[in-house]
Amino acid sequence: MTSTYRRGWESRRGSGRSVEDASRTNYYGLPAIHKPHWNWLIIAYFFLGGLSGGSYAVGSIAGLFGDRESRKIARVGRYISFLALLPSPILLILDLGRPERFHHMLRVLKVRSPMSVGVWVLLIFGAFCSLSAAGQAAQDGLLGRRNGAARLLRALPGHVVGALGIGSGFALGGYGGTLLSATAVPLWTKNGVLLGPLFLLSAVSSATASITLVLSLARGTRPTTLARLERLESLALLSEVALLLFTQSRLGRTIARPLVKGRLGLIHHFGVLGLGLAAPLVLQYMAAFRGEAPSRVVTALASALALSGGALFRYVIVTAGRLSADDPRATFDLASGQSPTAW
Amino acid sequence: MRELDPANGSIGPESSAANTGARRGALGFVTDVTLCIGCKACEVACKQWNDLPMDDLGLTGHSYDNTNDLGATTWRHVAFVEQFGQGRGSQSMSNAPGSNWLMLSDVCKHCVNAGCLEACPTGAIIRTEFDTVVIQQDICNGCGYCLPACPFGVPALSQTDGKAHKCTLCYDRLKDGLEPACAKACPTDSIQFGPIAELMPRARKRVTTLRERGVESAYIYGDRAVGGTGGISGLNAFFVLIDAPEVYNLPNMPELPQRKTMASYLTTIGTAVACGVATYLTLRNR
Ligand code: SF4
Ligand code: SF4
Repeated sequence: MTSTYRRGWESRRGSGRSVEDASRTNYYGLPAIHKPHWNWLIIAYFFLGGLSGGSYAVGSIAGLFGDRESRKIARVGRYISFLALLPSPILLILDLGRPERFHHMLRVLKVRSPMSVGVWVLLIFGAFCSLSAAGQAAQDGLLGRRNGAARLLRALPGHVVGALGIGSGFALGGYGGTLLSATAVPLWTKNGVLLGPLFLLSAVSSATASITLVLSLARGTRPTTLARLERLESLALLSEVALLLFTQSRLGRTIARPLVKGRLGLIHHFGVLGLGLAAPLVLQYMAAFRGEAPSRVVTALASALALSGGALFRYVIVTAGRLSADDPRATFDLASGQSPTAW
Repeated sequence: MRELDPANGSIGPESSAANTGARRGALGFVTDVTLCIGCKACEVACKQWNDLPMDDLGLTGHSYDNTNDLGATTWRHVAFVEQFGQGRGSQSMSNAPGSNWLMLSDVCKHCVNAGCLEACPTGAIIRTEFDTVVIQQDICNGCGYCLPACPFGVPALSQTDGKAHKCTLCYDRLKDGLEPACAKACPTDSIQFGPIAELMPRARKRVTTLRERGVESAYIYGDRAVGGTGGISGLNAFFVLIDAPEVYNLPNMPELPQRKTMASYLTTIGTAVACGVATYLTLRNR
């Protein structure tokens, strides 16, 4: 944005003043925008929704293209995604100021509002996810052997349902980031187009980690299956860490402050980047360097760390955004018209 | 980018009606900081007409401002800025002790393209026949998405009824052909109500007059040059200011938050495809 247009007060400011100086001017340090009230309910939903969508997609792809062993991945993926899905609508509804009016969300579909799109994604995904889980349960004999419903569900072409649902699974994993980016909150909207991908990568890594965790604890899982899952997990973690650092580096000092300073900065650095992203990668690669498959304990540990890192990541992003909304300098820096916000 | 004559600023020759994207027949406010005496009649009139309860007031120490912010029960908010030091005070009084007291009655801007309206997932927020932005109270379910979606920090959730509230530009009064309560109550005409097509030229004339009289820093906040920027296309409630927007707690060049939503969808879909391929490549039958 290069405008040669100058207001009167700009000449008073003097041309030598930096953006930092200009945005230091504020109104008693009071917030210039309103932050959302979203608390642990939404943080938990972002995590569980991502986990649900991610494990559904990963499981379905494994079921479609994998060998017999991969069916285990598909099966665990279906169950995990269903279990993670169950509390999601409840968390969302409880968070509303008027929970009894939740269905008003279904009056409209607004493509420019990621929250509206997300509601419909959740609805569609919910159908796929429940159907797949029911089909799986019927196959596993959990719904009884003889009754008609179980027989019908067993006849369900699970792969077809899974294939159709993959898109909605990924959409559920990623839309949280898009939702946050479409706001005036500096930390969310600056580089906003990268937040959706970041949420999605985190969803896939959490999902893979949870499937790996379950299978590494289960008896009879072949080491090759675990190795494949680990490869996917480390791929997701690596891309996540790279994208996260890239995004953070482009925020600018003022806007990135909540990610660096104070208690939240510590949680971000040690919890998310350290224990959640770096530690599982190191654990996996240490074994790979020694040229041996990692022991099951190491695999389980790495997965558990990655999983908790995914949860912490949602916490840090939501909380840091709320803090940056409260900081007028961040808002004014974002809206200075002088810092490029092309991303 | 358009280039304007710096001496003329937003009142330059190029800036006729095209300076705001306001739709035909749009109604709105101009709030002139140079006429405000800080009496808060607008705050009171707004509360009375709209049946808004009292706020939990205390002394903030922020000059005469004890409300601090727009809120669920405060739809007009008078900001007080005390300035001391060199170059302060209007030019015509430059020999005076160098102090200045700015007062500004802030309000919902009824943006030409409104972030709150685009965000609302229930369709509770609508654009009225007067080109104003109103939250339908029988629809809102208190999701809270409009709060961070407003680049000016206007809507707020009520602790009492759990719904989002903000200025309606007195929708009910407009329907009856009355002017909004705040504009009616303002004793100095700092708040003026009318069609944007009339208010904009009037405000520009006012800025010219102010500059002629020595207040060279006067400008309009809320046209396409300042405030109504980045896809917002103008504010139907705009302001005549004499200091940087940040001084009044207003962003200089805000953007419509949904501007990059489509790009955001695309990057996310791209990542989804990449994730799908990576999953296929690692887990496929080999
Ligand atoms: S100022 Fe905020 S609340 Fe008012 S119309 Fe614009 S975006 Fe909506
Ligand atoms: S809080 Fe109400 S008005 Fe605001 S976005 Fe949600 S439903 Fe719409």
